[in-house]
Amino acid sequence: MSTKEEPLDLIRFHLDEFVLIKLRGAREIKGKLQGYDSHCNMVLSEAEEYIYNDSNDDVETKKTEMVFVRGDSVILISPI
Amino acid sequence: MSTFQPINPKPFLKSLIGKQVIVRLKWNKTEYRGTLISIDNYMNLQLDQTYEIIYEVEDGNETKKEESIGEIFIRCNNVLFVREAKSEPQETEIETETSVATESNGNENGNKEMETD
Repeated sequence: MSTKEEPLDLIRFHLDEFVLIKLRGAREIKGKLQGYDSHCNMVLSEAEEYIYNDSNDDVETKKTEMVFVRGDSVILISPI
Repeated sequence: MSTFQPINPKPFLKSLIGKQVIVRLKWNKTEYRGTLISIDNYMNLQLDQTYEIIYEVEDGNETKKEESIGEIFIRCNNVLFVREAKSEPQETEIETETSVATESNGNENGNKEMETD
């Protein structure tokens, strides 16, 4: 079976590792990737959410032990 | 007589695999420049050796922030266009071209905030 590489493989290779997800609305989430699907719905553990305000200086941070991220707000995913 | 040979979107994108490309997003005046690694049926993109380029307007001057972010996955719905990055781009020409493209398309999508899932 020839396995052609596709973009979602990048995510698969980083299961159980920390990733940075850029989201709509000037937000980012860092977390350990527990699972995902083809919509980019994702489950992250040990997650930290960063909310950037207009003045780029103050960043709001929220920590969550376990979080589900809905795929439609994902812009990009990058391994850390 | 010249025969017209259509270049369809998917074969065109596939022909860009392994090359330096610039991916423009629909929001935030953002572009990603990197090597196109792969695409899928949704036209999700995978880039390597990526630079994130954010254009900002400050007091009428357009500034550009560039940052190396390595390997990334871009979800298909955020993409405005993909084009090949010519070896050394002439900045002025490109900036005007891209800003025009976002103006027209950005509004349209910004209002509707359309998300297909």
